[in-house]
Amino acid sequence: MDTMLKRRQFLRVTALAGGGLLVACGGGSSSSPSPTPPDSSNPDSAPGNGGDPAETFAVGEFLRISSDNSIRVLVGASEIGQGALTAIPMIVAEELDADWSRVTSAHSPVAAQFDNPYFGALQFTVASAATRGYFAAQRRAGAAVRHMLIAAAAERWNVEPSTLRTEKSFVIDDANQRSASYGDLAEAAAAQNVPINPPLKDPANYTIIGSTRQRLDAVRKTNGSEIYGMDVDIPGMLTAVIARPPRFFGQPQSVNSNAALAIPGVLEVFTIPSGVAVIANDFWSAEQGRKALEVSWNEALAGRTDSAQTRSNYQASLNLPGVPVRSDGAVLLAQAAASDVLSADYFFPFMAHAAMEPLNVTVDYTGSAAEIWTGSQSQTIDRLFAASILGLLPEQINFHTMTSGGGFGRRGNPLSDYVRDACHVAKTLQQPVKVIWTREDDMKGGYYRPAASVRVSAALDNNGTITAWTHRAVTQDVTSSLYFEEQLDTLAEMELPPLGELNDLETGMPYAIDNVHMDAHLTLIPQMPSLWMRSVNKFSDVFAQETFIDEIAHRYSRDPYHYRREMLGNNPRLLAVLDGVAQAANWGNPPAGRSQGIALIAHWQSYIAQVVEVSVTGDRELKVHRVVSAIDCGTAVNPDLVVAQVESGVIFALSSVLFGEIELRDGVVQQSNFDDYPVLRMHQTPQIDTVLMPSGDNPGGVGEIGVPAVGPALANAIFAATGEQIRELPLKNLNFVIA
Amino acid sequence: MISLQVNGDEHTVDVPDTKPLLWVLREDLKLTGSKYGCGQALCGACTVHLDGQPTRACVVPVSAAAGHRIDTIEAVDQQRIGALVQQAWQALNVPQCGYCQSGQIMAATALLTSNPSPSDRDIDEAMSGNICRCGTYPRIRKAIHKIASEQL
Repeated sequence: MDTMLKRRQFLRVTALAGGGLLVACGGGSSSSPSPTPPDSSNPDSAPGNGGDPAETFAVGEFLRISSDNSIRVLVGASEIGQGALTAIPMIVAEELDADWSRVTSAHSPVAAQFDNPYFGALQFTVASAATRGYFAAQRRAGAAVRHMLIAAAAERWNVEPSTLRTEKSFVIDDANQRSASYGDLAEAAAAQNVPINPPLKDPANYTIIGSTRQRLDAVRKTNGSEIYGMDVDIPGMLTAVIARPPRFFGQPQSVNSNAALAIPGVLEVFTIPSGVAVIANDFWSAEQGRKALEVSWNEALAGRTDSAQTRSNYQASLNLPGVPVRSDGAVLLAQAAASDVLSADYFFPFMAHAAMEPLNVTVDYTGSAAEIWTGSQSQTIDRLFAASILGLLPEQINFHTMTSGGGFGRRGNPLSDYVRDACHVAKTLQQPVKVIWTREDDMKGGYYRPAASVRVSAALDNNGTITAWTHRAVTQDVTSSLYFEEQLDTLAEMELPPLGELNDLETGMPYAIDNVHMDAHLTLIPQMPSLWMRSVNKFSDVFAQETFIDEIAHRYSRDPYHYRREMLGNNPRLLAVLDGVAQAANWGNPPAGRSQGIALIAHWQSYIAQVVEVSVTGDRELKVHRVVSAIDCGTAVNPDLVVAQVESGVIFALSSVLFGEIELRDGVVQQSNFDDYPVLRMHQTPQIDTVLMPSGDNPGGVGEIGVPAVGPALANAIFAATGEQIRELPLKNLNFVIA
Repeated sequence: MISLQVNGDEHTVDVPDTKPLLWVLREDLKLTGSKYGCGQALCGACTVHLDGQPTRACVVPVSAAAGHRIDTIEAVDQQRIGALVQQAWQALNVPQCGYCQSGQIMAATALLTSNPSPSDRDIDEAMSGNICRCGTYPRIRKAIHKIASEQL
């Protein structure tokens, strides 16, 4: 990581013909200019309407100051709704002292210069790591360019740089009452030395970071002009849908395509490794063709995962020691000395990400080069797989990261399943083609949040103090499909994060307990494609931990808020948000007829505590009235985006907790669309209040932190209302009627 | 050949009668603002106005849309209320991924056109057919109230 950061300090600054400057960041800047603008599919990003070729971005060039004083920032993270294309430019603009009203942004090409320092050599928008990963490097880049602009002005005016200041894209000489715009100075600035270690602003002087700014994509996302992968349209493009096996990794055995080919508009039917592709002039014809297709499947190697069987297997594994994740003190001794040892078992089902935009990929493969357009959270690896399938070098593929209609982890698959499918289709076809997944394809297509069982136990003394804590998780290795296919060779050349980090089993149990043992069973089920889903295992692990804490508190007649408080003496940031949410939610005094529950989590360098207010009627009508959150994410780069992410996390969590379940019977997924996989709707949405309590530390992740504590806080509120202990999800399976 | 009146313009398309209006708009007329989300009128991402009524274009055969006035997100700013809805959406930073927002805006515009002062219950009824996985519902509700209280 250190090497990476050092390498990133190197900037290459060049003048633009006709004024302006371009900044390239990081190593590898010897790359030849890209033959086409990296984001030509995005109408908003075509620089100067394709005018002067010198105005075209080259690979690696991430910042452009144009002679008209406008500034354009290319972002290596993917816009999946979290606001990456707004927050990350704000960081550069802050240190640059840019006029924010003249800043625009777009996705970068896939290139090493745009890798997220958090992951090393990858563009990878997962693990709530976009803003916190790019923060330091973007600040340094902005500061360096500002330094060069000042140096250029000082040279022009023959004054000391230290007598000059900057504001809103101008260098200002107060003593001589003159100023020059960045656009005017840009060409001369490009000739200045690049400072290796430019001084950064004191955060107290921030004017952009920490202020709420409108999303840069707000207009495009309200007038229908934002171009998603699904909207890509290139000349001569065909449309494909793929008939997939009813059980994962089944193989097409025989195909009768006569009826399909008889549908007007259907052009071709052929087999690819994952199924049978139906190619047509348009989506509707392709879909009719697929319905008419007759395929028999070889299911000898197909997955036979069964939800009920999985649950019973996992329950059995809870009795066996797993691989240690954390071990403090001497749990067995403490348990032997305890006055009481309590334990509880939990189960969580498979779940689908169900992003609003179903998966899709457009590929234009000509035999010697390719362009790919898709919403991706993992473009570096996607391009690598595409290259291996198409027989190209990665550099021969112009990969356009499109704005994603949601991701939640599904578009960050290290196996690149949907990109590989599309490349197989394009390789056969050698004609531009968009592969569209229907909602049913997306829902049944696998790569789910894996099912999980958790057992927690607590040893207690006479006062109800927890003297020992154990936590055992049984879940599926989200990388297990890696072992199934011949993907390891392709991935061998990648610098992947360690698998432990991908699975991220550390739960961050924050309480001051002397004796702690946490272990896990990571089962390998290669024929059951699983993947991280927003908040990953924290969703299940924190649910168990935080509901069990309430059970213990109740048993010893302790208030759940105060009980937690007493165990957080060494964790001032968590304590602060816990106190913050208790105050904001008026803890202990819910409105008549309602009950409260509380829970917390620290992860992704952020801290949150949440209170959920519910009512439960005698006939089990459950109404979630209000969710209050207090969050410390260090520095909130754009406070309103942080609030939006917490709101988003709360609603995402409520969908999962109330309804979320993919059920497999003998390998067949039972759900297909939003009728049998319901998600939260407007009328079920509670009042949501969010309190920001930024400590001023480096930014923490906010994309997932709003999710894990909602479920346990909700379950704790039900426990407070009814005395019923919630040990499995979703709640719809426990005969609650969701109002 | 089927004639369609979309956003005030007449179009003639040569497509099967059964092709859903959504795909005719997206593929044949290149109006991609209306989104495909579920194909079964379950999510609302494809919502357009048919004679002013919010309609799920993914389940309307194109032949059934002929002879009706079709309005899509691309021209909703030509309606006074549609433009107000867009402005309120922008002011409150409503969109996140944005994929569902064309449908949300078309549904909200229809609601406010027929009911300038909707209650929370009215909003629930008008907007619960539109799914947002990013969870922008609280801001959508707030934006609708804002328009109703400030501008209608």
